Amino acid sequence: MKKTADVIIIGGGIVGCAIAYYLTKKGVKDIMVLEGSDSIGHGGSSRNGGGVRQSGRDPRELPIAMAAVQKFWPTLSEELGRDVEYTQKGNLRLGKTEAHMKKLQALADSCAAGGLKLDMISGDEVRKISPYMSEDVMGASFCPTDGHANPLVATLAYYLKDIELGVHFYTGAMVEALEKVKGKVRKVILKDGTVLEGGEVVVAAGYDSRRIINTIGLDIPMTPLVDCALVTEMEPEMFPQMLGTAAADFYGHQTKHGSFVFGSESGLEEFIDVKDPNDMRIQHPATLGASCRAIEGWIPALAKAKIVRSWSGILDMTKDGVCVLGRPKEADGLVLACGFNGHGFGTAPAVGYIIAQTIVGEDPICDINPLRYERFYEV
Amino acid sequence: MEVLKKELIVVGAGPAGLSAAIEAAKNGVKVTVFDENAAPGGQLFKQIHKFFGSKEHKAKIRGFRIGQDLLKEAEEAGVEVVLNATVIGLYPEKEVLVQQGDEVVHYKGDAVLVATGAAENMVNFRGWTLPGVIGAGAAQTMMNLHHIKPGNRILMLGTGNVGLVVSFQLMQAGCEVVALADAAPRIGGYGVHAAKVARTGVPFYLSHTIKEVEGKDCVTGVTIAQVDDHFQFIPGTEKHFDVDTVCVAVGLSPMAQLLKMDGIEMDTSTGGFVPKCDATGATSIPGIYAAGDVAGIEEASSAMIEGRMSGAAIAEYLGYTDSASREKREEELEKSLDSLRQGMFAPKNRGKKIEKTDEGIPISESLLTKGYVADDEITRFPGFRKQAKVHPVIECTQNIPCNPCQDACKKGCISIGDNITSLPISVDGSECINCGMCVASCSGQAIFLVAEDTEPGFGEVTIPYEFLPLPQKGDKGFGLSRSGEKICEAEITNVRSSKAFDGTNLVTMKVPMEYIDKARFYKAQ
Amino acid sequence: MLDIEEKLKEIGPYVPEDDDDLLVCRCEEVTKGEIRQALHSGITTIEELRRLLRCGMGLCQGQTCGTLTRRLVAKELHIKPNDVVLATARTPMRPVDMGVGGNDRGLEEDAVKGGLR
Repeated sequence: MKKTADVIIIGGGIVGCAIAYYLTKKGVKDIMVLEGSDSIGHGGSSRNGGGVRQSGRDPRELPIAMAAVQKFWPTLSEELGRDVEYTQKGNLRLGKTEAHMKKLQALADSCAAGGLKLDMISGDEVRKISPYMSEDVMGASFCPTDGHANPLVATLAYYLKDIELGVHFYTGAMVEALEKVKGKVRKVILKDGTVLEGGEVVVAAGYDSRRIINTIGLDIPMTPLVDCALVTEMEPEMFPQMLGTAAADFYGHQTKHGSFVFGSESGLEEFIDVKDPNDMRIQHPATLGASCRAIEGWIPALAKAKIVRSWSGILDMTKDGVCVLGRPKEADGLVLACGFNGHGFGTAPAVGYIIAQTIVGEDPICDINPLRYERFYEV
Repeated sequence: MEVLKKELIVVGAGPAGLSAAIEAAKNGVKVTVFDENAAPGGQLFKQIHKFFGSKEHKAKIRGFRIGQDLLKEAEEAGVEVVLNATVIGLYPEKEVLVQQGDEVVHYKGDAVLVATGAAENMVNFRGWTLPGVIGAGAAQTMMNLHHIKPGNRILMLGTGNVGLVVSFQLMQAGCEVVALADAAPRIGGYGVHAAKVARTGVPFYLSHTIKEVEGKDCVTGVTIAQVDDHFQFIPGTEKHFDVDTVCVAVGLSPMAQLLKMDGIEMDTSTGGFVPKCDATGATSIPGIYAAGDVAGIEEASSAMIEGRMSGAAIAEYLGYTDSASREKREEELEKSLDSLRQGMFAPKNRGKKIEKTDEGIPISESLLTKGYVADDEITRFPGFRKQAKVHPVIECTQNIPCNPCQDACKKGCISIGDNITSLPISVDGSECINCGMCVASCSGQAIFLVAEDTEPGFGEVTIPYEFLPLPQKGDKGFGLSRSGEKICEAEITNVRSSKAFDGTNLVTMKVPMEYIDKARFYKAQ
Repeated sequence: MLDIEEKLKEIGPYVPEDDDDLLVCRCEEVTKGEIRQALHSGITTIEELRRLLRCGMGLCQGQTCGTLTRRLVAKELHIKPNDVVLATARTPMRPVDMGVGGNDRGLEEDAVKGGLR
C-alpha cells in the first residue's frame, strides 16, 4: 500500500468520503481514506434516519445545515452520478400536548433568530399535509425547505465517485495511534503496525475519533450512545415529509423505495454498556416495542406495516451537543470533523466542503469558530 | 419491564429441540419450547418414509410416527410446548422476544437452546422466480402436511437424499416426475433411494443442470443441459421437458440468525453459517446451546441424538445432574451418534469419491450415474444369491448405517453383523419362510423375495410397493427392470398388506424365469 | 486490510455477461448485472452491496439470496465464498406488524405512545 499522502482521512463514513470528494474538487490529488471496518459507511452514516434538516438545529450548527440544503443537496445526485433520493418536501415536527406546542414554538423562535423560517400549523393543517397523522396531533412546526435523502446510497455515492477521482481507499485499516513529527501531526499508525505519513491528518471517525486523538494528548468530552432504527417493508406512497416529534420519541420518513425508516428508542439504550464503540450489533430488548408504540401513536395507519429489520448505531454525543470542526490549535497538521451528535448526515456535504476549504486554506463558507475544539477548555 | 422467567427455553419444536427438551425435563429441568408453527415436530411430520439406522435410532419407523412418539414423550416428561410462538430476537442475558398472537412477550431463560433447523438453498437460473419453481422441502410440506399436490409434471433438480426422497413422495402423491438432474457428476444421496425412483422409469441426468425454466405467468417447461468440469454448459446438450413444476433440492443452510444476533461466535471455516460449539452444542456464550441442523446440516436421526446430548449437558449446567452421570449419558449417546456417522455418507466422507465398499467390492458406477445397479453389477454384492427356493435378494450396495433387515428375519437369512454399515449378506443355506418382514422393514425398499420355477418356465419376484392403486391378484402388466424399462409380461400372484408391514405392501409377480433377477417393479397394463 | 485500488486492478473492469439480467434478490428485484457492476466499481462487502442496491434487504432479509450473493461476490472478487462475510442478523427474525411489535407485554403501560422516556 501507499505509505504517504498529502491528506490522510481517518474514517470512511459520509463525512470522510465527502471531505475527500471536495478535496479533489479543490485540486488536491493525493488523498488516502482509512476505514477501520470492512465496509464504507459502517457507522452512523448508514444507520441514521436520513433527515436533511435545518429546523431544530443548534444556532452554531444551523448555518452549516442551511448551507447544505441551499448549496449542496439539490444537485448532489447529478454531481455524484447516482440518485441519493433527496426529497425537499418539508419537515413536520409534531406535537400532541400544550407542552409540546410550547417546545415547538421555542424551536421556531430559535430558528427564526438564525434566519430560518418555520411555520406553526394546526392539527388540521398537519392532516391536510399528511392525512395519515393521528387525530391526537395538536399541531406542528413545519419547515418547508427541510427534507430527507437516502443515507446508505449517499455515503456510497460519495465513495464510488471518490474512487473514480483517484482517491486511495483502504478498508479494514484500523488506526492505532497518531504521532507527531517535529511538533506536527504526521504519522498514522495502523493496528497491524503499518506506519503512514500524511501532510495533513483528518480525523472523522465518529466516537472512535476520541480514542485516536487521545494518542496525541487531545480529548473531546463525549459519550457513546446506542441509537436504534427500524425499517418496514414497502408501502404505497403515503407522505414525502421528514417527520419528528416534540416528544423526540421517533423521527423518520418514507423512502423512495416505499419502506419507512424510523429512528426511535425506549430510553433504556443509554444504559447499555458500550464495550466496543465499533461493534454495532448491540440492541436493547425494549427498543422494538417502544419504537412501535411511539410510531403507531403518531401514525395509526402504519399498524399493519411489517417491520423487516431493526438496527443500532453509536452516536458520538459531545458535552454541548454540537460537533467539533477544524484545526485544534495545539495539534498542527490535525483537522477534526467528529462529534456529530447524530446530526452528521444532513450536514455532511457542507461539512465536507468546509473541511476541504480549511485544508487548502480557503475561508470556509460558514463560520466554524463556535465549533472549535478549544471551546471545551476555555473558561 | 415485565420479563417472564423460564428455566430452559428451547427455540424450535423439531426433532432436536424436542429431544433436548425431553432429556432435560427427565432430569428435572422445567422446559418451555417455542415453535412458530401451528403444530410441533418440525420436519418430522413431513417425513412419510421409513428412517434408516438401527433400532435405537428408530430405524424402519416412519418419520411422522417418530414425531408422534417424541410429542408423547415430551408431554409425559412435562415439557411445555408453546405453539404459534415466533421467537423474533435473542438478546444479552438470554432474553428472548416471542411473538405470540398479536403481542410480543419477553422471556428470560437460565439456559437457551436454539434448534431452529435449516432453510432450503436456491439456485438462480433463468425463470427461477416463476410460480411453479419451488423448494423440494416446500413441495413436501404441501403434499404431506397440507395435502396439496404441488404439480402434475415435475422436474427435480438435485439428487441428494432430499431430492431423491421427495421425488419418490411426489410420485406417491400422483405427480409425474419427468427427470432428476444434478450438476454434480454423481448422485449425492443413498443409492437405494435413487434405485426406487429409477425402477419406476424416471431418468437421471447427472452433470446436468437447469438452463432455463420457461413460462410467462407460471412454469410451462424446463430445459436442462450438460455441464463440463467447470460447471459451464456444453452447447448442443440441451434437453427439454414440458413440466408445470420444478423442484429445487440443492442443499440446506442452517438458520443460525438468532445465534448470530446474540453475538455468538460463528465457525468461520464454514463461512459463518454454523455456530462454534462443542459436542453438546454449547456455544461461546455459557448457557446458550445449539442442536440439530442449526449446528450443522445432517438429518433427523442425528438431530435427535444431538438434542439429547444438549439436554443432558443443560441439565448439568443448571445443576440437576453431576458431571459423572452426564458423562455417562453422553458416552452412550455419542456411541449411538457415532454409529450413524459411519459409512460412505459419513460427514467425513462428504465430497469424496468412494471407489470400493468396506468389503472391497467395487461400487456400482451405474448406481452413481443412472440411479440403478446394472444387471451385471448386482451379482458381485453379498445381498445377491441364486437359490431355487424363495429367498431374499438384498440390493443394498453401499455402506450406509442401517440394519433393520437383520432383525426382521427371524430365520437368520440376512446378516449384517455388529457394524451397522456393513453390507447385508443373504445367508447361504438359510431357510426363508417367505414372511416378507425383511421386504417391509427395508427403509430403502431394496429387498426382494425371489423364487425360481414356481411354474414351468416362470418364477416369482416379491417387491415392496407403496403406490396407489394397489395391484390386485390376477392383474396383468409388465415387469420393469431396475432402470424402469418394460422387460417382460408379469402377472400378480399375491398382494400382502399387514399392520406389521407399516404401509409397505408386498406385491408378488410371476415373470418368465429369465427375468427373475432383472424384474424389480411392476407396471399395470 | 484491503487496498481498494489494488483489488479493482486485480479483478479488472466490469464486462457484461449474457445472464446479467438474471435476478439474484427476488424480494428487491436486484440483478446479477447490478451486483457485478457494483463490485467492479469499488463495492467489496455484502454489507455495502445491501446498502447500495437493497439486495437481501427485503421481506426475507436475504434468507433466499444470501448464498447466491455470497457466491457471486466471491467469484467476482476472486476470494473464497467462506471469506465473504454475511450480513448481521437483526430483530425481528420474522417480519412483525408495527401494531404487534408495539403490543409488547414487557413494557409498562405508561410506555404506551411515547416511548419509555
